[in-house]
Formats: sequence, structure tokens, C-alpha cells
Amino acid sequence: MVGSSLLDRRLLIVTGKGGVGKSTVSAALAVLAARRGKRVLVCEVNAPERVAPLLGAPPAGSSIREATRGISTIDLTPQECLREYGLMVLKFRTIYDAVFENRLVRFFLRALPSFSELVMLGKILHEATQEDGAGRPRWDLVIVDAPSTGHAVQLLRVPAALLDTVAAGPLRRDAQWMRDLLIDPKRTALSIVTLPEEMPVNEAIELDAEVRDVLGIPRGRLFVNAMPGDVFTDSECASLARLAEAPLPLGPAAEAARRQAVRRAEAQRDLGRARTSLDLPTVVLPLLVRPTWDRAAVEAIADAIALAESES
Amino acid sequence: MGAVADSLASKRIAVCVGSGGVGKTTVAAALALQRALDGGRALVCTIDPARRLANALGLENLGNAEARVPEHRFAAAGLAPRGELWAMMLDVKRTWDDLVARHAPDRTRRERILRNRIYQQLSGALAGSQEYMAMEKLYELATERDYDLVVLDTPPTSHALDFLEAPDRILDFLGNEAARRLLTPALSAGRVGLRIAHLGGSYIAKTLARFTGGEVLQELSEFLGVFDGMYEGFQSRAAAVRSLLADPRLGFVIVAGPNPLSVDEALLLHETLHAESMPIAGAVVNRASSSLLSPGAAPPSPEALAAALTAAGESFEPSFPARLARAVADNELLATADQRQTERLFREVEAAHSVVPRFEGNVHDLDGLARLARRI
Repeated sequence: MVGSSLLDRRLLIVTGKGGVGKSTVSAALAVLAARRGKRVLVCEVNAPERVAPLLGAPPAGSSIREATRGISTIDLTPQECLREYGLMVLKFRTIYDAVFENRLVRFFLRALPSFSELVMLGKILHEATQEDGAGRPRWDLVIVDAPSTGHAVQLLRVPAALLDTVAAGPLRRDAQWMRDLLIDPKRTALSIVTLPEEMPVNEAIELDAEVRDVLGIPRGRLFVNAMPGDVFTDSECASLARLAEAPLPLGPAAEAARRQAVRRAEAQRDLGRARTSLDLPTVVLPLLVRPTWDRAAVEAIADAIALAESES
Repeated sequence: MGAVADSLASKRIAVCVGSGGVGKTTVAAALALQRALDGGRALVCTIDPARRLANALGLENLGNAEARVPEHRFAAAGLAPRGELWAMMLDVKRTWDDLVARHAPDRTRRERILRNRIYQQLSGALAGSQEYMAMEKLYELATERDYDLVVLDTPPTSHALDFLEAPDRILDFLGNEAARRLLTPALSAGRVGLRIAHLGGSYIAKTLARFTGGEVLQELSEFLGVFDGMYEGFQSRAAAVRSLLADPRLGFVIVAGPNPLSVDEALLLHETLHAESMPIAGAVVNRASSSLLSPGAAPPSPEALAAALTAAGESFEPSFPARLARAVADNELLATADQRQTERLFREVEAAHSVVPRFEGNVHDLDGLARLARRI
């Protein structure tokens, strides 16, 4: 089963163009893993918090909080991650406070290239490898609801960039450790979410090339979200434009059906393009028409992912 | 012409802002096209390598230099612009290098900066770098060229403040007094390549070095060293960019999709712009679904549709009426939801409003772009 092997990784990174449904897919993957008894942590990266509210829970903020049975979430901020990282490296709170609470140093670190990305990524990877006293992993699965394309690449290329920039020292050791985890196919996979539309598919194709050639992170799935259903037969479609000219109530209904069919056909084309351009296992998720986007919608998407993987 | 394009008639610069994936680049191009059609000399500067836009404009590629959309391209689309349409794509690295060349006192200094690894990081991948260079390019285009309208497409923001704060943030870095103090005395002597021992006995510097490694601080001090003396040039230019943003001849156009997430981000942007007293020209909701029924009318039932089909003498599958009923009910649900989000945005934005409907097919030529432009 393809999907179970995806969920068997320790670290799943979910990214894609803005507005394609990354948070929904992240939440759905978490729900699916939790249904299988896994302890899951979903990390959002310095963005308006979406996952906990989607699961019907209050926002977690910058400390880990259980949203629902088996699923915890956190919204990472550079400030909080820096503090944790600093304490970890320095061991002593008094030294941390003396140095890092120093106004000048705070100013300086904020400006140091890629430092915020480094500490946030460090926190994520630290959680993904943490163990409890008995040598058991603290989390069976860490899901990263990564920022949209450009920012995600910026975040994920920090270890490689540091290895290029920094010759030696603790920063280089950390970068090496992070890079090893990110490129390990047994532990890590990056999945791309897209919509069956022209620009999002183009961006997914470019992003995938970057994941392969620049980041070197093992590739997971391509999630094609919000696919309109296959509702009308070809001969019905052929009659819809004519029926749309009819008076009420038939006219508007046929026009709605015609629009739906056109969207379906366009989406089919872009889905086809995504499939041929990307040699990635593809999971197609249905367009859900709902008045509100809530936990029930996430569960429905989780069902669709489960179904897709059982068929593959 | 739509309300938002209309409100830009008195402007020389339009800055399109909004979250990713809402069609910001297309809206930016449509605004420039509209001005060209109306007789102006208009430029659109995009951030993404928008190949489709390049194709639509009949340009091989969008590059860092401005290119004019050829006349025959307009003729082919049945358009007769009274003005000119120009397009370009921001090249972040090139813009940085140009900026360094502009401020560097001599060739040696310039080369040393371009070679420094911290600079390469800064100009390539540093968060905020793209936003800063977008502002920088805008200033150059606004002050050194002769366009009637420059439309800037901005990087998709996960944070509303990014592109307003990015220049300050990077300038903080370049001219950071804290960093200077930490890394002196070697800096003040104008020497580069100082060793960690030169970082002074400072307790803070030592702890930082433990954090980042001495190498990073060394590279950094070298970088700040070569930048020494250039900072004021950068700073005064950034201040000019900043005041340009508040110029009444500039207008921000907030672009959103009709979904809660995008409208949330648009509202946040609006709030920020408003608080900073930035001039807001209008808000555009792109790709909205439209209702097919008269207001308040309930979607037709499968039975009513079956009766209408029979009365029209159509033959149909038994399940067809139910599927039609579902299609129209779904459309209404989407249209209602989109309208609710649109209203939520427009209630807050006291400026011109435009709703662009979801067009069938993609905008892939000038004709399509012009069709869109008429609604903005």
C-alpha cells in the first residue's frame, strides 16, 4: 500500500503554491495517521494558524498542544525557536538570558541571513528525532505544513546553504545533521499539493524539479486537490449549451451543469499534464462543495486519501 | 473600464499585493494593458517567471530589461492601443548587483562584495531580499524612466508586513550598529580577514561564536567591512523608496481570491497599509463564482427539472434531472460563499471595488487579458 509507506516515514513535508489546500492536506494526513494509532505532530511555520482550527481545536500558538486525540500541533515562530535552540546549545538559562535577551544581539540575530529559517527547521527536525526515556520516538510522525513554494525552498535549503557558507564549527555540525535527515528516504518525504489548474500545475512542476535537483529531499506524493467530479456523459455535455437557453427552471440548471462540465474538462487537461510531467504517485482529491470548511471536510479528504492509496 | 482601473487613472504607480495563487500577476498585467489601451505608456513588472504572461504578450521571455509588446500582437487580438505596453520580470540577484555597483566607490570594492559568501546568501536566498529588490526596482522605474503607469506585481506574502519591512530589515543587517560593535576593533581599522581572536574579549562575541562558529562571524565582519561607507547610500535610497510608497500618485491594489484564507490575508494587508498611511487605490476579488438564480430563489428540484425536460421533448437518463439539480445547487452554494467573502473584504476597504468573474479557460492571449481588464 503506497499510502501506508508514506505515513510510515518520520517526517512528511507538505508544500505547494499558496491557496491550494496545504493545511487541509496536512490536517487530513494527520487524521489518517491518528486513525492508525500514530502519535502525530503537525508543525505550521510562522503563518496564520490553520490546522488546529480545522480540527475543531483552539490555536496552539508557539508551544505544542494536543488538538485532538493523537494529533498535536504547534505554530513555529523564529523568536520561540531561537530561544529553545539557544537554551539547548548553551545549556544555561542565565547565559542565554544575558546574551540573547541583550537588545543588540537580538537585533543582530534577526538580521543574520537565514537564521530564523535555521532555528525553525532545527526545531522541526529535533521534534522528528526526539525520543522518550525508553528510546521510543516521541512522535511517530511529524508533518510540516510548510510555507508556500518560494518560502519553503528557502526554509529547506538552509542546511545545504550553510554547508556551502560555513567551513567549520557548531553551525556546520547542525547543518550536516539536518541535511542527513532531510535527504534520508527512509525517514523523510516531501509531498506537493496543487490544484488542477494551469498556474498551480506549472508551479508544481518547477517545484518538483527544485526538490529533485536542488534540495535532494526524497519525493512523496503529488496531491491534486479540488478535482471537479465526472458528473455528465459526453452526450449530455453536448446538449447542455442548448438546454442552457431554455427558460426557468431548466436554463440556469443546465448552465450550471455546463460550467461544471467545462471546469471538469479543463481540470482533466491540467491533471493530465501534471501526471505526464511528473513521475510522482498522484493522489486526486475531490472538489468538496461545502458551506463551511471544518473538521468534517478534513475527515472527508482523509477518506479520499485512504481510498486513493488502497486503490494504488 | 472597471472601478479599480478607473481609480488608477490619476496614478503613476500601482502596487498589486495579496496572497499567492489569486491571479495577482494577471491582474497586474491587465491594469497595465488597460492604461496602454487608453493611450498611456504602461509597464508591468512581474516577480514570477510568468511564462504564460510572456506568451500572452508575444514576448519570448520576460527578463530584467523592459520589453515592448509588439504592435502586431495587438492587431492579432483585434485591439488598437493608443499607448504602449511594456513588460519585464524582476531579477533579484541582478538588481542587487546593480545596486552594489551603484554604491561601490571603486571596482575592487565592488568585486570584493560580489565575491563575499555572506553577500551571495543575502542577494540570493535571504528572506526579504526579493521584497527589498522589488521596492528598489520600483523606485528606479518610477524615478529614472518615463512611464505614465508602472504596475508592480509583488511576491506572494505569507505575512502582510514582509515587503514593507523587508528593506528596513535588510538595512538593519547592513548597517547594524550592534554587529559593528561586536566585530570591532578590526573593522574600524579597515582591515578584513580578521580572526576570531580579534573579536575582542567580549563575552557576548565569544558566546555568539560558540553559537554560529567563528567562521561565520569572520565572513560577516569582512562583509560589513567592505560595506562600510556604502551604508549611507543604501539607507538614503531606502528612505526615498519608503517615501515613494506613501506618495499620493502611488496606489496599492489589494488582490484576493473569494475564499476565507485569501480574504483574511487581504484584510491583514489592508489593515497594515492603512496603519502605515499608504494610499490604497482599490480591492479586486478575482475569479468569483456568480449566481444563476434570481436573489432568494430556491434551486429547482429534480422533479421540476424532469418535468421541464419532458415538456421540452428531451429524452434523458433517469438520473439526469437529479444531477442537474445538484449542479445548480452547488453553483449557488459556491456563489453565495464567494459573495460573502467578497462583501467581508469590501466592507473594510474604503476604495474602489472590482469583482472579476471566473472566466472559462485560462487567460492566454491579449484578448483574454483585455476582457479581464474591462472588469477590474
